[in-house]
Amino acid sequence: MRRSKRMEILENRPVNKDGFINEWPEKGFIAMSSPYDPKPSIKIENNIIVELDGKKREDFDFIDKFIADHGICIDRAEKSMAMDSVEIARKIVDINVSREEILEIVSGITPAKMVEVINELNVVEMMMGMQKMRARKVPSNQAHITNLKDDPVQIAADGAEGALRGFGEEETTMGIARYAPFNALALLIGGQVGRRGVLTQCSAEEATELELGMRGLSTYAETISVYGTESAFIDGDDTPYSKAFLNCAYASRGIKTRFTSGSGAEVLMGNAEKKSMLYLEVRCLYMTKGAGAQGTQNGSVSCVGIPAAVPSGIREILGENLVASLLGLECASSNDQTFTHSDLRRSARTMLQFLPGTDFIFSGYAGEANYDNLFAGSNFDAEDFDDYNVLQRDMQVDGGLRPVKEEDVIRVRRRAGKAVQAVFKYLGLAEITDEQVEAATYGHGSHDTPNRDVAADLISANDMMKRGITGVDVVRALAMTGFEDVADSILNMLKQRITGDYLQTSAILDEDFRVISAVNHPNDYMGPGTGYRVEGKRWEEIKNIQNVIDPNNL
Amino acid sequence: MEIDKKLIEEIVRAVIEEVSLNQEPGNLSSKKEDLGQISVGNFLSGKKPASRGTNPKEVVIGVGPAFNTHIHKTINGLDLSEVLDNIKAGIEEEGMIPRVVKVFKSSDVAFIGIEAAKLSGSGIGIGLQSKGTALIHQRDLYPLSNLELFPQAPLLNLETYRAIGKNAARYAKGEKVTPIEGRNDPMTRPKYQVKAAVMHIKETELVNRKQVTIEW
Repeated sequence: MRRSKRMEILENRPVNKDGFINEWPEKGFIAMSSPYDPKPSIKIENNIIVELDGKKREDFDFIDKFIADHGICIDRAEKSMAMDSVEIARKIVDINVSREEILEIVSGITPAKMVEVINELNVVEMMMGMQKMRARKVPSNQAHITNLKDDPVQIAADGAEGALRGFGEEETTMGIARYAPFNALALLIGGQVGRRGVLTQCSAEEATELELGMRGLSTYAETISVYGTESAFIDGDDTPYSKAFLNCAYASRGIKTRFTSGSGAEVLMGNAEKKSMLYLEVRCLYMTKGAGAQGTQNGSVSCVGIPAAVPSGIREILGENLVASLLGLECASSNDQTFTHSDLRRSARTMLQFLPGTDFIFSGYAGEANYDNLFAGSNFDAEDFDDYNVLQRDMQVDGGLRPVKEEDVIRVRRRAGKAVQAVFKYLGLAEITDEQVEAATYGHGSHDTPNRDVAADLISANDMMKRGITGVDVVRALAMTGFEDVADSILNMLKQRITGDYLQTSAILDEDFRVISAVNHPNDYMGPGTGYRVEGKRWEEIKNIQNVIDPNNL
Repeated sequence: MEIDKKLIEEIVRAVIEEVSLNQEPGNLSSKKEDLGQISVGNFLSGKKPASRGTNPKEVVIGVGPAFNTHIHKTINGLDLSEVLDNIKAGIEEEGMIPRVVKVFKSSDVAFIGIEAAKLSGSGIGIGLQSKGTALIHQRDLYPLSNLELFPQAPLLNLETYRAIGKNAARYAKGEKVTPIEGRNDPMTRPKYQVKAAVMHIKETELVNRKQVTIEW
């Protein structure tokens, strides 16, 4: 066959490098509704759920049991289950029905019913629902702060710049797991240099992550993973109960925590049990709620290549974010992983959370160039900062970021590097040279920084843990080396652990360490003229991009 | 190694359990074509249950259940025999002794790796999934922790596998080791995640939590 030139050009477009697969429910490759998904049902006897979604109590697996005992409001169940799914779906979209009323109705429905409700909604209706159901009135954003070298100086510099740019939370992780203490420490300091009150976390193996939190080297956690099938749990030697205990361990030390889950995980683990991705994720979210977690990071997250490969998969991702909000959970709505070669496709995918606003639109946005992103690349990265600022300005939408001046970026990057250098020296950790600080100050990424002695760093990081260094030592080190203001910020972050207000749903902190959460700033959207509006000082900030024509200079 | 009577009984029981499990309706591996080559005969002919090594020079490589029986190439097309040969060569170049075991109780690279480390005389193990994902583990670490992880299998080549063998051997010798420089390609996921899922499903269907790890 003679090739059509147009077809050849199309064939070479970035989108055709992506991986797609047809629906295959037997292996879980189905987004929103599998023929093997259960039908909604509930039976209650003596205040105990004895039948859930077609399954009798004696046949429950441990997920069904956990959900039946902890995830559904029994007083409300019969009334809510009697409502038509389409009626509930309409109420979710209806601006005249309040968030509180929806939360009440939804608290009594089963996972299979939830799946039916979500299947009634198209993406625009889901966005309407999200705009109303998001827990916190003001949306926010989270960054990833990582680099290929696990260089603590660059972590601090990127963390400071990210905070300056407006991220409410920042998350790091490691190429080499043993770097965790350095990453956590560098991000804790860098974040506070950029903007006081930024929350930071270090994604690591669960016990390590908990220890870093307990020591005050990180200020929140979001890697308590739950799965939608029993077999996926068993593979990781876990149960919903063990996850609930872990959640309590964080809460007992006053550390903000959220769970994480997302469609495609069970497919990737080979444990989907023929169910749709949405149904399995809904089960995860009911467990999250049942375990008493304040929120979730969901929206497929690192498994996004799976839902994105099947029909209606990107719609499903918004659907699962909406379910989190319908259950009253904080939703850090993913957008944090590459899933396509196409700029068109990646932008479109993010609009579904960007336009209605979620508690954290990204979880997170790569605060470095994607080549340095150790979550294997985010959907947006540092090279997209200006695009993102323009998108906020174009649509008068608050995406959580703001334009910044070059001199401010350089200033906070250098100061963060200097502060980390001083703390490392004071605490007797591996050496940080002036050359490294300068390179991280002006560089774009790890291609621009000198190599560190990795073996020496790992010995030093291990030593730091052995010596029992905590957040208080960091405060002291900063105070003794001329960084009193940063010391004060970190001390304030440690105080949050005692007051505990930031354990409330969707909590973030402003630069005076005041908590902004779904308790004191709940979303009250009920159509035009209500809810959060981008206006006043914030609108001026968003408008003020750097690349504008100044008529006086013409 | 001497095989005593009790051990033989244990193997036979494990095999029978495996076969009967596979025949249960509704089991993930119930499809005829998935019964696979781990037949009774094949399993007993020369494949012994893995023992815990005592030689401190030993580094154990744990491979996944589908390794070279159901899956023969990594996600980017490297021959699994060559991958294994390169890891072994890396270990030998450092003057250490490789040993290979096949793990059936998990297809998770961390659990394969910690199993290998626990069987290893030096306490250092390498976990290798059939799709090519690898890590270096140490027996006293948490299962989901590791010494070095190579999560993006499509970016690994034979030289990297050789370097993994070398570094594992160096940890076993108690040396101060510089980890292999990380590689990262943000487009790995869009290109390979579906393929990774299909390969991993294949490997996971062969998981049997009751089947003992064997010498490979």
